[in-house]
Amino acid sequence: MGDIVYLRMKKNLELSALQEIQLKDIAFISTSSSKKRELENIPIYRITKKDKNIVIIESFLIIDHINTVFENLEFQLIGPAQTIIRIKKKRKKTSVLLIACIWLLLFVGTAMTIMNFHYDVSMQEVQQKLHYLLTGEQNEFPLWIQIPYSIGLGLGTLLFFNHWFNKRFNEEPSPLEVEIYNYQQDLDNYLTHYENKLNDTKPAD
Amino acid sequence: MIQSLLINFIQIFIGFAGGIAVGAGFVAFLTVLGIIPRLIQLSKTEKLLKAYGVCVIFGLLLGTFLSFTNVTWNQHAIILVFWGILHGIFNGMLAAALTEVLNVFPILYKRIGVEKYMLWMLMAILFGKVAGSLFQWVFFVK
Repeated sequence: MGDIVYLRMKKNLELSALQEIQLKDIAFISTSSSKKRELENIPIYRITKKDKNIVIIESFLIIDHINTVFENLEFQLIGPAQTIIRIKKKRKKTSVLLIACIWLLLFVGTAMTIMNFHYDVSMQEVQQKLHYLLTGEQNEFPLWIQIPYSIGLGLGTLLFFNHWFNKRFNEEPSPLEVEIYNYQQDLDNYLTHYENKLNDTKPAD
Repeated sequence: MIQSLLINFIQIFIGFAGGIAVGAGFVAFLTVLGIIPRLIQLSKTEKLLKAYGVCVIFGLLLGTFLSFTNVTWNQHAIILVFWGILHGIFNGMLAAALTEVLNVFPILYKRIGVEKYMLWMLMAILFGKVAGSLFQWVFFVK
């Protein structure tokens, strides 16, 4: 057997145009062989209109292909088993109006939700009782407790998400970012399974 | 005599059983929302996990005591401000955790493509909560 070539597939690749993909586009290559340059430039796949916007390149097919071209190299795969290629048409800039609409939707929605929540748990009554309990005076509108409470609501949210506009308090990712990452991971898993021709369950012809 | 003892015993049993169910449910709820892990992560105090557990238990007992008695402590209104702000922070975290559990946001951001403005959207939620709450207490209930 000849030299060993280590291949590490890239997990995600974003392309903006239909183009030919070479090995170096979708994988990192490490080898002591003198054929490294040649390997890097070997064409793997040509993206056509038919591919729509997602292509999965399976490492098995790559190895299968380059094995026939470079007969005396041995290939070792490290890292992910497939690359997800996303073809992005030029994206329109998200309009400010849309963002303003969503902002307003979230704003009013959250405001209403919190009001409904307060009614649901009879917070007014609880706070009236608390006011009497702590101060010994009856007060139908215990604003001394309610206004700090409202400010505290904001602080709590801030603390939980660990963000103030674009500023973050420490390096830890916020739960929201973790959630978005997990969601993306799930989508990728789904794609690598169902967009992969090697996972067809039909028997070979 | 025996009958009233029996009724008392049944009451004790029902109360105790209800307490166990509610207590377990409450702690499960807190755990699912992950507020305590989040606070530990922010303050880097993994060592104090047991102390936090004790805090929750005492908080639970204090809350139960307060809701079943009619005492008054005759304190100044300042203590209300302090109490209110703690209450608010906790509820804010609770509500934030709830929206997150619903997983609405990742989908919203991906579908509508406002990923870059995620933090602005977060601020909408934050201000919405504060504004809604203030509006309710200052104008709505009157």
